[in-house]
Amino acid sequence: MQPDHLIDVFAIEKFGIDTGIFGFMNSKWGWPTAESIHFIGLNMLMAAVGMFDLRMMGVAKGIRMSALHRLVPFGVVGWLMCVGTGFLFFVSAPGQYLYNPAWQTKMALMAVAGCNMALFYATTANAVHTVGPDDLPPTRARLIGFVSLACWLGVIICGRLITFFRPPYHWCVWC
Amino acid sequence: MTDIFAWIEQTPFSIWLREDLYAFFVVLIFHSLGMAFLVGGGMVICLRVAGLASGARLEKFRGFFPVMWIGLVMAVCSGVLLLWSYPAKALTNPVFALKFILLISAGVMMGVIAKRLFPLAERGEALPGWARWAGIGTFVLWAAGVTAGKFLPYTHHVLMVS
Repeated sequence: MQPDHLIDVFAIEKFGIDTGIFGFMNSKWGWPTAESIHFIGLNMLMAAVGMFDLRMMGVAKGIRMSALHRLVPFGVVGWLMCVGTGFLFFVSAPGQYLYNPAWQTKMALMAVAGCNMALFYATTANAVHTVGPDDLPPTRARLIGFVSLACWLGVIICGRLITFFRPPYHWCVWC
Repeated sequence: MTDIFAWIEQTPFSIWLREDLYAFFVVLIFHSLGMAFLVGGGMVICLRVAGLASGARLEKFRGFFPVMWIGLVMAVCSGVLLLWSYPAKALTNPVFALKFILLISAGVMMGVIAKRLFPLAERGEALPGWARWAGIGTFVLWAAGVTAGKFLPYTHHVLMVS
């Protein structure tokens, strides 16, 4: 591996070894335990945020969106579970992730989802909370819901790609 | 059974699923997306049954059932293909049976919630005391089913093809 002048991969690896993360993740049940927590978190995110996105897109009419929105903190807990376990994966094998375009795309999609969420709270949340349970939300809200759901589904797809092609040069146009 | 597994694994379709550059991971992607819709939809209903988001009418959560059905079809179809790729690896692993028991139990509980609790909510009647525990228990079943699925690649002890 050539030295990376932007990110010190070896320092990250050393951090993983010194903190015991590398040892835990390479123990018999370390990696599958972290993977399980990662996927439960992802499903919690889909339950709270993904279903809210679908409701904004017009699915499950009759559910008041202001009430459904109360489950979003639960999705945030799921997201934190994903981030925490994702950190363990990353620290244990930084070279497998940093230079993997599937991981890079996954991070980019998470950033887009974050910006989309900020846009929702800045411009649309108040309007959505006043919509009646049987009414269709404004077009802007439906579009934000679609972008959010598409991003999280893309995150799932990229997560799968990470494990299959390390790195997937044959489909990566920027590698 | 080993002969049957070996026969399946030597069919051209099984070989193609394992050895094609894209086939196996495309199937896995569909399985993950299907599980996300199925379990995500199931979990949000469980949370409501457990007493969260009480301002939302419970029976209206049946609007998420079509999402779960789409997820189930995706997960089952892709699951059959995964099974066709590695039948010996999966069907000799007790964790595979555990995954099925957990997910089928969660599905049965969703049926109980739909048949017993949604009509009560529709009539504006109070939910029975066990409803909250049914929500929590079913949520745990979904999470445990996902966990069993993630442990599958690490717990197999028979692998007749690579």
